[in-house]
Amino acid sequence: MASEELNGKKFTQMVLSGAHHLKNNAEKIDTLNVFPVPDGDTGTNMNLSITSGADEVKKLKGENISEVANAFSKGLLMGARGNSGVILSQLFRGFAKGMDKKETLSAEELANAFDNGVATAYKAVMKPVEGTILTVAKDAAEMAVLESETEKDVIVLMEKVVREAKASLKRTPELLPVLKEVGVVDSGGQGLVTIYEGFLAALKGEEVPEAETDDIEMDEMVNAQHHKIAQDFMDTSEIEYGYCTEFMVRFEDEKLKEHPFDEETFRKELSEHGDSLLVVSDDELVKVHVHAEYPGEVMTLGQRFGSLTNMKIENMRDQHTAIVDGEKERATQAGRTEYGIVTVAMGSGIKEMFESLGATVVLEGGQTMNPSTQDITEAITGANADNVLILPNNKNIVMAAEQATDLADANATVVPTKTIPQGIGALLAFHPDATIDENGEAMEAAGKEIKSGQVTYAVRDTQINGITIEKDHFMGLADGEIKASHKDQLETVKSLLGEMITEDDEILTILQGEDASAEDVKVIKRYVEDNYKDIEIEHHKGDQPIYSFIFSVE
Amino acid sequence: MSIELNTNDGQVTITNDVISTIAGGAAVECYGIVGMASKSQIRDGIAEILRKENFSKGVIVRQVEDHLHIDMYIIVSYGTKISEVAHNVQSQVKYTLSKSLGLEIDSVNIYIQGVRVSKD
Repeated sequence: MASEELNGKKFTQMVLSGAHHLKNNAEKIDTLNVFPVPDGDTGTNMNLSITSGADEVKKLKGENISEVANAFSKGLLMGARGNSGVILSQLFRGFAKGMDKKETLSAEELANAFDNGVATAYKAVMKPVEGTILTVAKDAAEMAVLESETEKDVIVLMEKVVREAKASLKRTPELLPVLKEVGVVDSGGQGLVTIYEGFLAALKGEEVPEAETDDIEMDEMVNAQHHKIAQDFMDTSEIEYGYCTEFMVRFEDEKLKEHPFDEETFRKELSEHGDSLLVVSDDELVKVHVHAEYPGEVMTLGQRFGSLTNMKIENMRDQHTAIVDGEKERATQAGRTEYGIVTVAMGSGIKEMFESLGATVVLEGGQTMNPSTQDITEAITGANADNVLILPNNKNIVMAAEQATDLADANATVVPTKTIPQGIGALLAFHPDATIDENGEAMEAAGKEIKSGQVTYAVRDTQINGITIEKDHFMGLADGEIKASHKDQLETVKSLLGEMITEDDEILTILQGEDASAEDVKVIKRYVEDNYKDIEIEHHKGDQPIYSFIFSVE
Repeated sequence: MSIELNTNDGQVTITNDVISTIAGGAAVECYGIVGMASKSQIRDGIAEILRKENFSKGVIVRQVEDHLHIDMYIIVSYGTKISEVAHNVQSQVKYTLSKSLGLEIDSVNIYIQGVRVSKD
């Protein structure tokens, strides 16, 4: 049956058939959905979009193809859902555009309409991603334009469009890496192929094939399903259903008489035995993929309808334990490490900072509260390492730390850091691949590079280094020596920083103490920005007691 | 401003620029969006379509306590369903950021700054 023209009535049938065919396959298309967001709704979205388009067409007693196409386009736009739905609406907006109240379309005009649709669809995206529904539509339309030069029969032309769309769909994994990784074709592209198949069936005057299974391979769906599961398992090691089970049942008439087969019922039954379920059937076969705890039971269910073939069962717990064991092994090795670092700090913020930089044990202590030798010895043991580096961060603790190294059962070395900034600087120089002596030297050197400043208040009147200090005034110390004192905190900071910062310095780190306010920090930052143009400022909440500010300059 | 992540091996600091570039990149791959627009159109020119380097002008990352919010200023194509395009951008940006940076975004707010009508 040849046909030179496509009229409104025929096109109405095509739309309805396309929508119907897509509806039948929506669920399968959902399983393929891994791009752009693997949320498994492409089929559903496309189905809702095209249904809205088909509803508009149904309202119309269309004789005129441009009217029908416009109604379809309008319905699609109103009902567009999801990325693929919006693209579909654009494809048919372009398709309908430029038909200019035509009653019928020739093969050439149909090809141009497809082409027009693609052009419109591509216009609406800044950065088209190839290997999607867009590519499938484009390839199919190009084929249509090419063929329409010689082919005048609309049905034959549509056949070629469908064939090229399918071929293009098969190529999508080559264009889009994520598809290749998962081993599936693009879900939106599959949706479009399904619609075109529906179109063709209507053109030929056929019923749409019931639940097409050839196009979407079971393997592809299984891949997509496993991909989703793999993502789910990232956080959890709990596997409820332990066996990945796949099999096919070849229907046998005698058994079917006893147990008539219904895909929906069968799927429901299986779903009680496991998850990640896929069931696809045609007249002769049903293919099943399921993660079940008792694969035998699932197979028995299938066996009621016929004989089993192509069975495959994998123990997913074994697979998973293999991965987990690998991790555990690493963790036990980590139990006793090669290097441990013990450091002393006060203030929760500074403690956290040391921990985040890699300190194994952070002892509480500082100027007014020195940890005992015993405390440090215990910390060395607690570090559970062959070599332990100790950063006392205070000159009063260095001695105790030295003593502790003699008592500890590990190979321990003290890096004589005298301030918190020195300790941080030293810790940054730690290198896990170097020997303990090399590390000790490098860390000590790094610590010395750093200039430390502290701001605190005087507890009594005194006179040191020619500076007169009154009780309750602020004092600024640079590397342990009092350099400034003033009754105003900011003035103290200013003269202290003046002593510390030279032209070669690049970074000022401010550790905000527990009695310093955010407002104080702001004022200091502004002062530094205004007066030292090349200095970069870092600010952390150290929450240390006694010192309202600790500065480090490097 | 930047986001800090603590891992077993140390700290990872991600600046807002990185977040806005990734979010912008994810958005322009979405169907129906023809460009990112600047947040402040008066200062940066009327509905000028931003180039990749300036995505941060059209993608604002806000951190409120522990929650991340993203405001995106976009231009969409005429004839698309705008609400749906916006919704697609939201889910794609959220997904991409969670996939590439492991960041959970609390909200992605879309501001449609313009509609581009194609010539035909």
